[in-house]
Amino acid sequence: MGKPQARKKQHKGDRPLKEKYRTKRKTKDLDQIFEDTKPENADKLLKQEVDYDKVGNGQFYCLYCALKRLQMEPYTQAEAERAAGMGSFVAPRKANIPTNLTSEKMDNDEESSMTG
Amino acid sequence: MRLEKCYFCSSTIYPGHGVQFVRNDCKLFRFCRSKCHAAFKKKRNPRKVKWTKAFRKAAGKELTVDPSFEFEKRRHVPIKYDRQLWKNTGKELRKMADIKEVEKNIHLIRAPNAKAPRLEKKLAQVVKIEEDEDMEET
Repeated sequence: MGKPQARKKQHKGDRPLKEKYRTKRKTKDLDQIFEDTKPENADKLLKQEVDYDKVGNGQFYCLYCALKRLQMEPYTQAEAERAAGMGSFVAPRKANIPTNLTSEKMDNDEESSMTG
Repeated sequence: MRLEKCYFCSSTIYPGHGVQFVRNDCKLFRFCRSKCHAAFKKKRNPRKVKWTKAFRKAAGKELTVDPSFEFEKRRHVPIKYDRQLWKNTGKELRKMADIKEVEKNIHLIRAPNAKAPRLEKKLAQVVKIEEDEDMEET
């Protein structure tokens, strides 16, 4: 009673980096995102059947995160080896990623929900 | 003995050194030391970290294209015994000493285009001034 509330929970985010970068909290790497955005994979991921075991029944797959960092092709082990002198180095190329994949689906959903 | 290359800094990993990380899609990532492993965990881009080989090559600090780079390669296919090949290999091995020396000192050779962008800018400026003078004269 009568205790200043601001004194509580001041150190909630102060976790060691070790915990932040645990493999159990691992998010997708850039090359995985790049793989997902390829048209053949993107179609499958965005139009999944309703599966009650999946999060959100598998209906809200997030394709895009870190698009800014994917302006160039993702880094690979092959590039590391070429940089190390195994074969001539090939400069990384620009990656072209279609940006309208999710928006299309969103529009369709909205239309269907509006009419339904 | 198989010598791998570090995913992050491209240095050679000798047996008994470094760590391997196997991602949940079975992809292998090898790191030469904890420095590289930590950088990977933080999702650093090796192309933007100045101490990696990938940066140095991408930024034109080192030689990128040279026949000596074709020398060392990943060869997955086991080769069947062939007398002629064996002979040729022996010949080539004798040449290797020279190539190894070049490889050892290749970091001393400056990439021909290391300073090119700056030079280009300078040249462009000079040309502009000349054009301006011409305009005044006319």
